[in-house]
Amino acid sequence: MFRFFTRIWTQFKEYVVLVILLVASLIALSLNQKQEIKKVRSVAFGSFATITAIISDVINTAKVHSENERLRKANAELMLQVNRLREYGVLNEQLKGMLAMKDTFNFSLIPAAIVSKSLNKSQSSITINIGSRDSVKAGMPVINDQGLIGIIQSTSEDYAIARTLKNIDFKLTVKDERSRVDGIMKWTGEDLVIVDVPKTYDIEPGDRIITSELSSIIPIPIPVGVVIGLNKVETGIFNEVTIKPYVDFIKVENVFVMGVIQSKQRNDLELNFYRQK
Amino acid sequence: MRSQFFIPLLLFFPLLVVQTTIIPLFAFLNAIPDLILILLVFYSILNGQIYGTILGFVFGFLFDLITGSLLGSAMLSKTMAGFIAGYFSNENKRDIYLRSYTFSLIVLLSAVIDSMVYSFFSTADIQKNLLLIFFEQGMVPGLYTAVLSIIVIIFIPKRGIS
Repeated sequence: MFRFFTRIWTQFKEYVVLVILLVASLIALSLNQKQEIKKVRSVAFGSFATITAIISDVINTAKVHSENERLRKANAELMLQVNRLREYGVLNEQLKGMLAMKDTFNFSLIPAAIVSKSLNKSQSSITINIGSRDSVKAGMPVINDQGLIGIIQSTSEDYAIARTLKNIDFKLTVKDERSRVDGIMKWTGEDLVIVDVPKTYDIEPGDRIITSELSSIIPIPIPVGVVIGLNKVETGIFNEVTIKPYVDFIKVENVFVMGVIQSKQRNDLELNFYRQK
Repeated sequence: MRSQFFIPLLLFFPLLVVQTTIIPLFAFLNAIPDLILILLVFYSILNGQIYGTILGFVFGFLFDLITGSLLGSAMLSKTMAGFIAGYFSNENKRDIYLRSYTFSLIVLLSAVIDSMVYSFFSTADIQKNLLLIFFEQGMVPGLYTAVLSIIVIIFIPKRGIS
């Protein structure tokens, strides 16, 4: 028996090593959701992000001039927009008061810089230079002036990793701003799409897509992207709506983390409801 | 043997810093070159197939751990890439492979397989044409990585590789 294994090892040791390591990789794939693994990963990326933060600072300093120009223009435009929104806000307060509705728009914005990006076809993520010490928690939305970027996946003391919209594990309830139609948006590895949208729903190219208040992850409206096409129109009863995100994930450098997290109370209530069914 | 792993591991971390901070600025058709893979191919050709397989596994493990991608996906793809690159490790031809454009072709082959395996294990639905997926997720990043690997051929020392 021993001789047999020795002969196998001598003749096929390259393949034996390959198979062992591939099996180990497959086992690692199945361990992703373990808490211990998550802890090790948060320590690892936290330590590494300290170094990448320095490099990112250098790159950002070089870009700061052109960024300033752009921000000045954006500031002027936003000032005009804010004035208009203030008017709406006052009116909204009055109307809400008349209807005795609760205000759900209380959240803080925590500024952060991206210190590293892991961009690939299916699992793009970014590391930012704020963490649990800055009250960042898993599940918080990450945005910039253009729209939604992603949500926080895990945190260390000083850093956090966020899944971007271009991540197949990220699914989100969104809605068409014009027609108020809701749907589930996900990244297919190629495109950002709203899946299984009945053909009778009113969604057209050019419509703005925002996050839906039905979402348990991000229950406040944040711009996501614009509809650029409807697929599978010829067959079946469902359309697949392709969206172009507002955010350019390659160019984005500075972000904000919104201080909102999933409502545990709401989640528990909904879970209990479905269990009773 | 220990130093054989020590130097590539030492080079791995600065390269990963560049890979995650500077390289994304040079994305072309949403594809970015893989510096880690170039390093892996170089040392696999230099030190053999078993070495390449193990080094690919270690690089993949560290990459997954640090960048937050699905643990196991880069481990799997880099292990296979290291195995394939190590196939070209031959004492008599090592110099030819490392000093000529053959190196870029080996990088291309390894990078295409690396990208394909990585996307296969981390993409949920494959609804598109397989040929299109092969082109977009395998060939484009593979070609970009292969082009960048020409730098290695240019700057490799004339003597004393091994």
